[in-house]
This record gives sequence, C-alpha cells and structure tokens, in this order.
Amino acid sequence: MAIRSLPILLFILLGLLVANLMFGAVSIPFDGILKGFQVGDANYFTVHEYRFPRTILAMLVGAMMALAGALVQGVIRNPLASPDVLGVSHGAGLAAVFYMTFFPNADIIWLPAVALMGSLIAALMLWWLCGQHSSTIKLAITGVALAALYASCIDFLMLVKPLEINNALLWLTGSLWGRGWHQLSMLLPWLLLVPCALWLAKPLNLIHLGDDSAMSLGIKANKLRLSSLAIAVGLTASCVAICGPIGFLGLVAPHLTRKLVGGRHQILLPSTMLVGAILLLLADLVARTIDPPIELPAGIMTAIIGAPYFLWLLFRTK
Amino acid sequence: MITVRLSFIRQCVALLLLLLICSWVSLFSWSVIPITPTDAIQALYNMNEESIAQHIVHDLRLPRVLIGLMVGANLAAAGVIMQGLTQNPLASPSVLGINAGAALGMATVSSLAPWFGLLGTSVAAMIGGGIAWALVMLLGNAWRGGNEHGRLVLAGVAISALCAALTKAVIIIAEDQAAGVLTWLAGSLTDARWQTFDAFWPVCILGLVGAMLIAPTLNLLQLGDDNARNLGVSLIWVKLGGSFLVLLLVGSAISSVGAIGFVGLLVPHMARMLVGQDHRQFLPIAMMLGAGLVVLSDTVSRAIIYPAETPAGAILALIGAPFFIYLVRKRTL
Repeated sequence: MAIRSLPILLFILLGLLVANLMFGAVSIPFDGILKGFQVGDANYFTVHEYRFPRTILAMLVGAMMALAGALVQGVIRNPLASPDVLGVSHGAGLAAVFYMTFFPNADIIWLPAVALMGSLIAALMLWWLCGQHSSTIKLAITGVALAALYASCIDFLMLVKPLEINNALLWLTGSLWGRGWHQLSMLLPWLLLVPCALWLAKPLNLIHLGDDSAMSLGIKANKLRLSSLAIAVGLTASCVAICGPIGFLGLVAPHLTRKLVGGRHQILLPSTMLVGAILLLLADLVARTIDPPIELPAGIMTAIIGAPYFLWLLFRTK
Repeated sequence: MITVRLSFIRQCVALLLLLLICSWVSLFSWSVIPITPTDAIQALYNMNEESIAQHIVHDLRLPRVLIGLMVGANLAAAGVIMQGLTQNPLASPSVLGINAGAALGMATVSSLAPWFGLLGTSVAAMIGGGIAWALVMLLGNAWRGGNEHGRLVLAGVAISALCAALTKAVIIIAEDQAAGVLTWLAGSLTDARWQTFDAFWPVCILGLVGAMLIAPTLNLLQLGDDNARNLGVSLIWVKLGGSFLVLLLVGSAISSVGAIGFVGLLVPHMARMLVGQDHRQFLPIAMMLGAGLVVLSDTVSRAIIYPAETPAGAILALIGAPFFIYLVRKRTL
C-alpha cells in the first residue's frame, strides 16, 4: 500500500508543476510552455525567467521544509513539533532581517549562513528553556512563545528602520514573490543535506524501539538525535533565508504522509518531501491565481490550511 | 481589616499620582514643535488661543493620553476577567486569539464595507473577537475545567495565526485600504482624536463598571467550579456575562487604537503582586496599572526614533513576550 501511493504523489506533483507554469496573471496554453523555453518566443520571459525557476524553487523549498519537520518529529516524538512551531524558523528570519537592516550593502549570498546562525541560536534557546524532558504541550508553548518574541523583534526592527522595509518585507510572510534563478542557485548547495537526512532513515526507525534496544544494535541514540536536529535546522535555515518563514508546512506534511505510507522512515522521508513539494506548489498556485494581478504570500495560504490542522492535532493530543 | 483598607487606599492614591505624572509628561514630551510643561497645564483650563503649542496639546495630545488611559484600563480589566473565568494564568486577549479575531472582523468590514463607520467596525471587532474566543474555548476544552491550561493557550495561538493570515489576505486583496490598516494592526495611538474619544468613553465606563460588578463573583470562582456552584454561583451565566464584558472591553479598545497586546497578560500579574488575590481590590489596581502602562509605552514609542514614531503595540510586544516565556517556565503545564 505504502509503495503504491508514491506514483500517485509523483503524478500529482507533475500535474502541479505544469499547472504552475500555465496559470498566473497571464494563462499560457499547455503547448505554449515548451515553446516558451526557446529564446525569442513570446512567452520566453514569463516561462523561463519567471515561472520556471519559481516553480522549481517552490518544489525544493516545500520538500526541504517537510523533510525538516519529519526529522524533528521523528526525533522528539512530539506530534506538535516542527521547526516553525518551535521557533526555529522565526529565529532564522530574525537573523536574516537583522543582517539586512544593519548591513544593507552586504552580499546577499551570506544570507543563508546568517539565517543558520539565527536558527541554531533559536534551537539552543529552546533547549536551554525546556531541557530534555518536558511535556508535549509545554515544549510547543515555549516554542510558540519564542517564535512570537522573534516575530515581535522582526516587526520592531522593520518599524525602526523603515528605509530597508521593502527588502525585509519579502522575507516576512513567507513568499515566493520575485524569486528566480539567483535564489535557486543560492539554495542548491544546501540540497546536500537531503541525502544526509535520507541516510539517517534506518537508524531513526530503530531509536523508536527505545534507547537501550538501539544501543544494542550499535546506534548511539544521542548522537543520532543531535545530527538529525542539526540537519533539520540547516534545512529550515536555508529555506527561510530564501523564502521567509513559511508556517505550518513542516508540521502538516509529515502528518499527512504518515497517514498515507505509515512510519517507516525509509519510505516516510522521501514521501514527505513529495507531499511538502505538492503543498507548497498548491499554496503558491492558489496565492497567484486567486485575485490576479494581486498576489498573496504563499505563507498566508499554508497558514489557512495548516492552522486548522494544528488545532485538530491539538484536540487529539492526550 | 481596617489596616488592609488603609494600605489599599494608600496604594490607590499613589498610583493615581503616578498616572497623573505620566499623563502630564506625555502631554509635552517629544514633540517636534517644542511644548513647555506649563503649556501642557495651561491648555487644559485656560487656553491661550495664540499659542500653537497649546493647540497641539489640546487637539492632539490630550485625546491621545485620555484614549491611552482608557485602552489600558480596558485591556487590563479584560485580562483580569479572562484569567478569572478560565483560572489560567496565561489567559489574556492577545494570547487567546480575541485580538486577532477582532482585527480580522475589523479589517473585513473596513475593506468590504467602508461606509459602516466607527460603530460598524466596533461591532465587527466584537463579533470577530467573539467567534475567535468561542472557538478557542471549545477547542481548548476550557469548559471542562481542570488542567487544560496549555491546550487552551495553544488553541489560542493557532486561532491567532489563522486570523492573522486571513487578515493579511483581506488587506492585500483590498489594497486601497492597506496602508492605514497595517499601522493599525500593530496598535498605535498616533491617530487618536476627540472623535474617537467621544465614541469610546461611554462604552469604556460601561465595561469597567460591569467589571467591578462581576469582581466578587470572580473571587468565588477561585474556589473551583464545584465550590462556586455550591455557594450559589450560576456558572453558565457568569461565564457568558464575563465573556460578553471581555468582548465589550476589548472590542471597543481595539476599534479605537488597534490590536495592542500583552497588557491584559502583564498587568493582572503585576496587580496580584501588589495587593493579592481579592478581585475587589486588584481589579481597580490593575485598571490603573494598565492605563499607566499604555500611556508610558506611547510616550516611549515617540522617543525611540524621534521624530518618527513606532507603534506602542510593538513596544509592548517586546516587553510582553519574554514575560510570557517566564510565566510558562514558572508553571507546570
């Protein structure tokens, strides 16, 4: 059953990829898309310079954020945990906004690295406040409170330095607006984290048996947890540096996938990436086509889908 | 008993004096056109028509201070009532989604039907806040009582996120209204005028008197739901009446100056530290503290990047969030 849902997911993903290239402020017929990749075609700019890189970027970011969420949930075993609920996303966002506010002339290529620092600090902060053994709800509340703190710092920075506001605004609600080849090339090196995460799939299954059993199978549980969380933080930071904190994606995608394919990480992790990519492509498609030429940030769409889901999860959590 | 009353009266007098000083300072400080402290006093009772400074005090600064005082008192009273009803130390209008719901109601009405005016938007704020509050209470299992504190807060946070996303969507789609609404979302007293004051003060008095009337009942609720019922408290009516009061207080405050958060969370705890758990005493103290806090934040908000202004709500959020984290750590959730 689990394997059978993979081709269906792939098929949906392909359909959305094509739809994202076709629809927008101007609709392009299906046969016009392939022509649009040739230099000199009437749709060349729309397809090649604008929609294609943005679509690929949405797919990658969705996949990476979902993967980060699956890693965090796999390690912490807390259904409400994900990088955005725990404040890691907003920590990265704050660092990025801080960097752009105080070094407006600096090279944008360093942004992911700065965001990584921010999300690491946010993760350490959470760990320092909660320690190792805190309840599901308490961890989530502390994370949410930290996220609110970072968000209010971001607001404050933007209000105090209104000159750089336009730059920072692109980062705030999680949007793919105006993202293109340049941002795509910034994200590419960070894709190396994906195979690292998939490589951890098998040991991740084993730590669910309990630390002692995992130990007897030759797995160092704490080391595994640390490396999984570090990879999750890296994935989150690189995505936030490029698109801003897109909420609820890392929370919802792993849950949906677990319902589809079950909990074996070898299948769960790749499927989660597919589901995350599908969700973000869908969110961006709706955000672009709901009221053209006006565009909503994709982060708004993910919150509208994700917040009710979070409430439902909360309702079920014992 | 008599000594308690005396010390309470002393505290009230001291706080009132502080409030007066804060308000007075707020009338003349950080103005682009210089205002002397005496200008601020003179403009109140014997205005010199020639002086621009005194005109600024009378037409801009005075309504701003008065509205700030009322908003602070309202939000603090709402926070006290909410913490009393839910028996949850983290309850407050901003944490449990009422602010975000009210903002959504207002943004929807002001962009879809701008001809409704102030009354329409206030009613929309109350309805939006009410829907959010009801959802949070239902999803957070609040009616079952017991130790569902954390769940209630997370439900509030999720509803807030949902409302905030919808609000932004409404604002972006109805672009022509956006600029004002964005400042307003942060919560700012910049646009407080006499017109707002005239609409606001009757509702404010009504809400605060209502809060004082419900105070003795809130004392009984602290004994737990069952004991309160045995003492003859009708829980349903208290919770419904209290919720309505909260919506009246928060809705009117938010429709006047925007979504100012964390006053309702911070102030009740400060007031408890001063006078203890008796609502008949700590409710008035909380009102005064809240009023002072908002006027103070507004004064600071003018000073930070003088001559420009930052919304007072942003400053309160910066103070409030760490305090919230401290409260979460202190309690066992």
